[in-house]
Amino acid sequence: MFKPRAMTRTLIIGAKQDVEKTIELLHSLEVAHIIDFKPSDAESPLQLGLPTEKASGASQNLIKLRSSVQMLSLEREKQVISEKHSEKQLQHDISLKIQDLELSVLSLIESKTRIEEHYRKLNDRIRQLQPFAAMDIPLEDYQGYDHVTVFTGYVRDLKQLNENLPKITDEYELFTSEATDQMVALFISKSAKDEAGKLLGECGFTEVKLPEGKGLPKQFIEKWENQQKELSEKLLQTTKDILEFRKRHAEFILAGEEYLAIQVQKAEAPILFGTTEHSFLIDCWIPTEDIKKVQETLTEQMGDSLYIEEIQTKQEDEPPTLLKNPRPVRRFEFLLELYSIPNYREIDPSFILSLIFPLFFGLMVGDIGYGILLILFGVLFMKLFKDSEGFTNIGWYIIIAGIFSLIFGLFLFGDMFGLPFLPPTHEVGVTAYSWSTLLGVHIPIPSVIHKMESLGMTQLLVISIIAGFLHIGLGLLIGMVIERKQNWKHMLTKLGLLFVLIALAVLIFVMADWTIGHWIAPLKGSAIAPVLWGFLIPLVKAGFSFGGLVIPYVSIAFGILGIIIIGATAGGLGLVEVLEVTSHLMSYTRLAAICVAKAAMAFAFDMIGLGLILSGNIVIGILGVVLLVFMQLIVFSLGALSAGIQAVRLHYVEFFMKFYKGEGIRFNPFKFSRKYTTIE
Amino acid sequence: MATDAGIIAIGAGIAIGAAALATAWAQKTIGAAAVGAAAENEKMFGRGLIYMVLPETIILFGLVIAFLLWTKM
Repeated sequence: MFKPRAMTRTLIIGAKQDVEKTIELLHSLEVAHIIDFKPSDAESPLQLGLPTEKASGASQNLIKLRSSVQMLSLEREKQVISEKHSEKQLQHDISLKIQDLELSVLSLIESKTRIEEHYRKLNDRIRQLQPFAAMDIPLEDYQGYDHVTVFTGYVRDLKQLNENLPKITDEYELFTSEATDQMVALFISKSAKDEAGKLLGECGFTEVKLPEGKGLPKQFIEKWENQQKELSEKLLQTTKDILEFRKRHAEFILAGEEYLAIQVQKAEAPILFGTTEHSFLIDCWIPTEDIKKVQETLTEQMGDSLYIEEIQTKQEDEPPTLLKNPRPVRRFEFLLELYSIPNYREIDPSFILSLIFPLFFGLMVGDIGYGILLILFGVLFMKLFKDSEGFTNIGWYIIIAGIFSLIFGLFLFGDMFGLPFLPPTHEVGVTAYSWSTLLGVHIPIPSVIHKMESLGMTQLLVISIIAGFLHIGLGLLIGMVIERKQNWKHMLTKLGLLFVLIALAVLIFVMADWTIGHWIAPLKGSAIAPVLWGFLIPLVKAGFSFGGLVIPYVSIAFGILGIIIIGATAGGLGLVEVLEVTSHLMSYTRLAAICVAKAAMAFAFDMIGLGLILSGNIVIGILGVVLLVFMQLIVFSLGALSAGIQAVRLHYVEFFMKFYKGEGIRFNPFKFSRKYTTIE
Repeated sequence: MATDAGIIAIGAGIAIGAAALATAWAQKTIGAAAVGAAAENEKMFGRGLIYMVLPETIILFGLVIAFLLWTKM
């Protein structure tokens, strides 16, 4: 669970005539991560392999099918299948059908684009002619005069034009359209051309070019519009045909595409191998637990013709990472890989992540109402995006986070949608609403911590620091375990940091004794009580007073010891890490900050909403309900989002920095995830 | 006493407000760069997110100071 699967480097060597069969077998075994072969130099007898003969034919067909997939906009994720297609049948069908299929798709798509093109062209023409339609002058009458110039276009100020034209000349005729009175056609004597142009400019004239042709514009437009009507009917029919075609052939096209993709993958595999004139060499990583199965299958099928050797893993090798976790934890690998995939020799923190992430989230949101909403939302999310692995994982996180929020809300905070079940007893502040007073029923879910009181806030801060202390401490311990084998100096530095961390934590706990001291009270009278009160607590509390603060001797001792160790092992620069640990510890106060900020926001909105609802006026009451639901949704989404991000961040930054390097190579076995096809 | 409380409250407000401004200032630059990096290479998303959230600790210092002041009110 804490280590990636063990890998064994394996060499498979055989004669060239066996290469295809070996590829088939390896592909069906699905466990070999092939290492890309790199020839040592050009003179070496061992060179890169070439694709098998099948490759080019299969690739060509694959391109044809893929273009069909594209043109029909088929989606691999969405297509439901009735049955899996066998490879043999597909091979037979593809050679028969592919030519016709490609032609039909092409002609269908082409006729569709042709119709669309024609429709668009008609549209353009109609738009061009539209301005002239209202004027009822045949197109040929606009031109061909010796002594008359014609202006056609839009005019912004028609009145000004009408008033000033007679001042230039009286040899003119002005036509205006009745529908849109800005379109004009001005027939004017050529001698007045320049002046008329100037006047038109002043009146805001925009020229409209005269379309070519003869006859009345209206008639043209009518004709074209009729044509368009026919075209849209045709288009509808063609679209229907395409849909029909798509429905009928989608499964075959996608299955064929998958089959060919597998063929190409196999045919191109030899470019990963080393080859000599008569032999080939496959260098691959195989999970150690599968190696026996591989050997048995290969010898069973190929007899003695293959030579298989396991090689000892060397220090400079970089084996690929295949994580090994139980199913619920496996979903959290996604969250880990978002940061970086662990390298082979590293500890896999998925399990810790899956445990602590929801814990942090639950502490931050901690509310029965939001918990239930989160669970419902998570279920919905997983249902909606069941095809996408990433999104279903996120849905899963939401559900788990919701469960933890529910638990925290029920047992620690005792509140729902920001409103506590019982009114607070410690502090006299706002005479607050609570579910008990609101519903008139006593609901016995006490708030162990009241988020809205200063005592509760202090307790939350201390809880955050405790969480940080444990989390960072765990990170440092893991780091020490890893460094133990690699670099003892680094290990000691981490030990020094751990000491500094303990010093800081003790200091903070002693400072906060008044808020959290009573938490350990139930231990009085238990077996460990003498150790606690007789020895440990007095020891921790012993210290000197400094500016009103008690500085415990234990803190001083651990702090100095830690700094000495760090200074000795990492030098002056290592002392920067002391500051880093301090700031990292403070960083966990975000747990309390978000918890209280979210609660305060929810509580404030509750006050506003309930005030309106209980006002006695029905209209204001309804408004209050709508407002309250809306505001609660805002708090819910903001709270869930920030809690999620912060919980992840505490892992990525504060926790991982203590031990995690990542940058592993993902185990990528030689196989194909089939959806539509089977080998049989 | 009332004035004392008022001055403490103003101090707490400044502590958290100034820290928030500092965080925002730092994040705006980092955020823009991180989005750019992620747009070029999706693998940078995780690392970009980490750089992006680093300055958030600054505002928490402000919060802690504000809180310590608040308990003195």
